[in-house]
Amino acid sequence: MGTGTGEVAAFRNVSKNYGRVKAVNGLDLVLRPGETVALLGPNGAGKSSSLDLLLGLREPDSGTVELFGGAPRDAITSGRVGAMLQSGGLMSDVKVRELVTLACKVHPKGHTPDEVLTTAGITEIADRRVDKLSGGQEQRVRFALAVAGANDLIVLDEPTTGMDVSVRRQFWDAMRAQAAAGRTVLFATHYLEEADSIADRVLVLHKGRLIADGTSAEIKAKAGARRIGFELHPSDGGRLDEALLRSLPGTVGLDIGTRTDGVHTVRIRSTDADAGVAALYKAGLYPRGLEVTSLGLEQAFLTITGEQDKDDEESAR
Amino acid sequence: MTTLIKLEILRTLRNKRYLMFTVLYPALLYVFFISAYGSGGTVAGGVSVKSYFMVSMATFGAVGAVLTGSAQRISLERKSGWTRQLRLTALPGHAYTIGKIAACAVTTLPAIAVVFAIGAIEGVDLTAVQWLGLAAALWLGSFVFAALGVALGYAAQPDAVQPAVMIVYMLMALFGGTWFPVSDSLKTYARFNPVYDYNQLATFIHGQAVATSAVLALAGFLALFAAAAAYLYRKDAQQA
Repeated sequence: MGTGTGEVAAFRNVSKNYGRVKAVNGLDLVLRPGETVALLGPNGAGKSSSLDLLLGLREPDSGTVELFGGAPRDAITSGRVGAMLQSGGLMSDVKVRELVTLACKVHPKGHTPDEVLTTAGITEIADRRVDKLSGGQEQRVRFALAVAGANDLIVLDEPTTGMDVSVRRQFWDAMRAQAAAGRTVLFATHYLEEADSIADRVLVLHKGRLIADGTSAEIKAKAGARRIGFELHPSDGGRLDEALLRSLPGTVGLDIGTRTDGVHTVRIRSTDADAGVAALYKAGLYPRGLEVTSLGLEQAFLTITGEQDKDDEESAR
Repeated sequence: MTTLIKLEILRTLRNKRYLMFTVLYPALLYVFFISAYGSGGTVAGGVSVKSYFMVSMATFGAVGAVLTGSAQRISLERKSGWTRQLRLTALPGHAYTIGKIAACAVTTLPAIAVVFAIGAIEGVDLTAVQWLGLAAALWLGSFVFAALGVALGYAAQPDAVQPAVMIVYMLMALFGGTWFPVSDSLKTYARFNPVYDYNQLATFIHGQAVATSAVLALAGFLALFAAAAAYLYRKDAQQA
């Protein structure tokens, strides 16, 4: 099991267009053994396209995609990759157990069906017909197909869609066990808390490009980890000095509004909110209704993709 | 691959609606034709009603079984993404198609057998060799339509595939001698209808020589449909 060192997967300057749409645009990326990697991005960011390219379901227009140093199809036929697709249908008119057995048998390093049913938590629905399952149950059957053998890499596209909260927790426990066994896990998701709590590396994809790559803490820091919000009232004497606010330590973003009664509302995105607030008082300001909130990965994500859009607009001008 | 083929066969036999349509429906039509024409009657050419419609309803059931079984399912499973999921396994790409054809081939057997059983009860008199030869000829001939079904399954979307299959199936049956013998004036063109050639496979039970031209024509159709299916399959795999 495992490759020890080296590259699990590599995209080298990969592009893929559908007509005029650049689904994947010059993607460079390397996955290392044992990593649990989350792939984030808004709808249409190129997540599913990238996974299709990675699994050899589609060919890139330019650049190369490698799995374990070879062609994706070779990695699949040698049983090193298991995948769960968003668009992966299931066979109808068969029982869950029969489908799982099929997956185990065709896998070069297949587990026993009973093991796989247990791993995926679907032992109790093993005798149900596949076409009679709920959305969440179907997802777990798809997961079972992805872990039917001793894979080195597991790829999951939005795996928890349709699962309720408790099932989702169970699912991620199973996923963590896979990662603990030394497997590399790559998953696309739009539940950012999943990326935050499970992945040790987060990739942010936007308009087919990789715009951030790091731990979730790094991504949050890149976006400015906390937000300082307050009001400045004219009656307190402090006048609005934009240059001063911008020069507060750690400030990466500033947003000022003015109400009709002359009250200014200030919002600062800061990588060092403690120093920023201290400096605020030192400058003799009286911030009212002071709030310091931490930016979740979700806001960080929105900030990063929003900034990218702004950059794109400016360069287009 | 054998696991997939076995499972394909099992699920096809499990599908009750499919069996009703492909096995029961031609058998009922056969009974209806015998009573409509009178069981002692003959059709053009002096062939008895009982044996003429036994062959044409067996081929009708067999063609229906393989066309709907392959075309409809392939089209639906392309849409649902099951074919994509299968491509993420170590199975070679053609395993899926082979599984579909195998499942079809198994379901044509009951379609043929039930109609034959009714024929035997109604008094169709053939030697054991003729029975077996006829069953084998009709079974082998059905593979031509399995290839056509695979091609249609890859060519059409699920909402279009059912009418497409029905139109192709009914037109071929109408001008292929399924409902009534093909008139002499139409026989020139009927050679280009695979269902007509398929029905012609049975002429040896009426004391005629084995229809070599029909066998050759079917071989040609098989090559054509298989090539079309292979081309459409490859095109589909690229679009995934």
